[in-house]
Amino acid sequence: MMTMILRRLAALPFILLIIYTITLTLAWAVPGNPLENPEKRPKPEVIEQMKKQYNLDSFPRFYVSYLSSVTGFEYAKDWISGDLERERIAAEEAGFPAPARPVFDLGPSLEYDDWTVNEIVGGALPVSITLGAAAILIALVIGVGAGVIGAVKPNSISDLFTLTIAMIGISLPSFVIGTALLLVFAVLVPLFPVGGWGGPTKAILPAVTLSLPFAAYIARLTRMGMIEALGTDYVRTARAKGASERAVLYKHALKNAFLPVLSFLGPATALAMTGSFVIEQVFTIPGMGQHFVNGVQNKDLFLIMGVVLIFATMLILFNLVVDVLYRWVDPRIT
Amino acid sequence: MSRMLIPVVVLVALVAFAIFGDRPQPRADLTFINSSEVNTLDPQRMSWMHDLRTARLLYEGLVKNDVLSDEFTIIPAVAESWELSEDARTYTFHLRENAKWSNGEPVTAHDFVFSWRRALLPDLVSDYVKMFMNIEGSDDFYNWRQEALDAFADQDFGTDEQQRQAAYALWDETKSKFDEMVGLKAVDDRTLIVKLKRPTPYFLEICAFTVLAPVYQPLVEQYERPDPMTGRLVRRPGWTKGGVLISNGPFELTSWRFKRDMRMEQNPHYWDRDSIAIRSVSIPSISDPNAGVLAYQTGSIDWISDVTSPYRGDMVAQKLEFLEEHKERVAELESLGYDQFSITRMLPDDPRAHTHAVSSFGTYFYNFNTKPRLPDGRENPFADARVRRAFAMCIDKPAIAREIRRLGEPSAWTLIPPGSIGGYTSPKGLPNIGDASSEAERQSIIADAKALLEEADFPDDFVVELAFNKDAGHDLIGQAIAKSWQKSLGVQTSLSQKEIKIFREDLKNKQYMTARAGWFGDYGDPTTFLYINHSKDGNNDRAYNNPIYDQLLEDASNELDPVKRMELLSEAERIIVEEDLPLVPIFHYATIYMFDAKKITGLSTHPRTKQNAFLIDVLGDGIGPDQPRPMNPENIQTSTRSALGESP
Repeated sequence: MMTMILRRLAALPFILLIIYTITLTLAWAVPGNPLENPEKRPKPEVIEQMKKQYNLDSFPRFYVSYLSSVTGFEYAKDWISGDLERERIAAEEAGFPAPARPVFDLGPSLEYDDWTVNEIVGGALPVSITLGAAAILIALVIGVGAGVIGAVKPNSISDLFTLTIAMIGISLPSFVIGTALLLVFAVLVPLFPVGGWGGPTKAILPAVTLSLPFAAYIARLTRMGMIEALGTDYVRTARAKGASERAVLYKHALKNAFLPVLSFLGPATALAMTGSFVIEQVFTIPGMGQHFVNGVQNKDLFLIMGVVLIFATMLILFNLVVDVLYRWVDPRIT
Repeated sequence: MSRMLIPVVVLVALVAFAIFGDRPQPRADLTFINSSEVNTLDPQRMSWMHDLRTARLLYEGLVKNDVLSDEFTIIPAVAESWELSEDARTYTFHLRENAKWSNGEPVTAHDFVFSWRRALLPDLVSDYVKMFMNIEGSDDFYNWRQEALDAFADQDFGTDEQQRQAAYALWDETKSKFDEMVGLKAVDDRTLIVKLKRPTPYFLEICAFTVLAPVYQPLVEQYERPDPMTGRLVRRPGWTKGGVLISNGPFELTSWRFKRDMRMEQNPHYWDRDSIAIRSVSIPSISDPNAGVLAYQTGSIDWISDVTSPYRGDMVAQKLEFLEEHKERVAELESLGYDQFSITRMLPDDPRAHTHAVSSFGTYFYNFNTKPRLPDGRENPFADARVRRAFAMCIDKPAIAREIRRLGEPSAWTLIPPGSIGGYTSPKGLPNIGDASSEAERQSIIADAKALLEEADFPDDFVVELAFNKDAGHDLIGQAIAKSWQKSLGVQTSLSQKEIKIFREDLKNKQYMTARAGWFGDYGDPTTFLYINHSKDGNNDRAYNNPIYDQLLEDASNELDPVKRMELLSEAERIIVEEDLPLVPIFHYATIYMFDAKKITGLSTHPRTKQNAFLIDVLGDGIGPDQPRPMNPENIQTSTRSALGESP
């Protein structure tokens, strides 16, 4: 297993490089000038200089310079040349801590003057990870529960009911579910605040909204897996040797039925944790999803690259974690 | 199965830890929201209205506007007094001794020199660098630096270290050049001398603009370094964050979480802290307009400074309904001179009363591209002023304000909202089909317009393109205008909807035929609107070029007599709105507020729409005088009135 992990980790930089190249090429091709300020505009000659400073005037130069700052090469260079030390001393003389300088520098945000992409991601990612993890947990509880109920008595009323709910969960867009939950549980019956982030009460409604499509999918996967497992020989054997129905369901059948759910959980967790633009809008959550959309809309090149690279890394890592879990849960798989 | 539970348990623990570890802060004395996230808290780089509004809580310039007075009077701030020389070209500001930064250090004249120098560097791309161009030598310095940077970029200085040293040498030279060239001197810590290029009657108005507020040099310097490759001063973000920022205004920044919230506490060293009736301010970031209204309705927000939800027209209609129900009392209070907020405060409690439409210092208009050729190379009929006049006459402006905007906004015949600038008389503007009182009159306006088109040889089968950016209902306004033109002039139209960034770029490059636009004034002088039509102005998206117009603006800036000066400016605006029409004013903006007038006081109803949120008093919270602060002249705070007497 160790060799598998190492091999996958070794492949990570190459996959990221490919993603970097494709994303940058696409983002570069988007029309519009990222340095345009929607309200007032800098003079053309100033824009020219800014382009030069950010290397926005040449694709190959931008490609290389951004790559070297993202990978920490730039930081290492300044460290060796003594630039970092000089800055620290100057700041100390003035009585201030030196400006923060991240090793892996995702660059400045062109749209939000006062923020670097590192700061933006650093603030938004923990929120999105927490919300996503909470949503996946809720989805697991609802999904597996509903799936098992359905599989025990296929085509019964309870099965039809859970299937219908699952269908609704998959088909209804989250802005409808989110707004409905908000209207019912925050405005009509003021149990929860209408939005924002911080503390458990604010997390519940968005986490539930985010969990529903995942829960629905998990329910269907569990149900199918369970129905299949309940018809296998080993379940018949377990029943024949007198195991309780409970033990048959949870110990024997679910263990195998859960494997497809597990493989779904990898990309699902990555997806849930990188935020949802719609849910962030409805519940006013300072998460990652909005930066994908706004980054592209504003042609904020650094922000686009930053969030895409983070998302890609997360996706690859979660798939790796799931593969490891897979082997750990089911030693038959190698 | 138990193996599978372990990762789940770990996940549960992590989520619980993250959620319970992130406790919300206690509620601030005042919570308000802006229409979008603050872009920057660096005053010299600001341009957005909500940035400026937020920054006025943190920074204080030499002088400020008394926003609660009818005249929007200039009152002392960091400067306690000032003198103007005989030739009206030199201001000497005397800074007050007790003006302090939030770390307790005194605010000095050197801080202003440092901050204004920042704005005048092309490196920092200050959007409002023009505000500083009234100072003697400022444009020479700006151009010198720009050329020096261009020359630097073309040169190769050898090794990285040599490159670096060259960049620092240029930076040192720049600083001494500034002292040499620009008419800005700190004589001592408390005396600042500003030499102007020419008499500028509205210079104090400009000084009241937040972009001229000082920043704390020892802090900001750490974040600005010459870039070895381009020689430019590269600005790194970081000093505008909570716990780092040092400011000199009524509040200090304690935290700013991106797209989440901003929090401020009273600055313990602020010289006029006794007049402040709130101790803490919280500004959550709510980007969805509907979520903002919901948050207000559930009580977590005290003031929405710009309601943009699509149903705000209904909210305004309900407010009007409410006022109609109490019309006798309203009329009585109006005749006593009360402003609209005070009137609402004195009427019975009602949720409909929480919506307030206030007139804004801005105008919505349509641009004509006046270049001789269209982007596709065809001859441009709109290069002819007669065509533009004809089209301008045939837009039903009141219908747009009444049926599409539905915010009670006045139709516009002029670029500058009438009555917003003291001493200025607005021209009349062109007749418009929307203000015809009878069908016959309407037909005669249309006939005049058609005659103009005839005269100008307007081509048959010509398709007029209207461009606008999506969102905010610009599409509906575009459709209404297109329909007006089809119906009255019989021309064909096509609508073109674009992404905002692309739309702006097209405007700048004159890649359009007619396009929507808007402009908000920055300071209390007609030039804030009129310069956008100067042939050399960067905001002249219309490519409008009339030497007579340019000359009038030039004459006005050389005119020492304020009355004559205003006449010249009024004549210039008349050319724009009656003769040449490079743009058609459609309506003057209103801003929609949401707040409970029985709870919040200290907001201004002046058409300049500049709010100083530090003047807000939350009634009944036991902090501050807890008295309404209306705009009636006799009720203006005595402190500001007496301060007024000390200065010219």
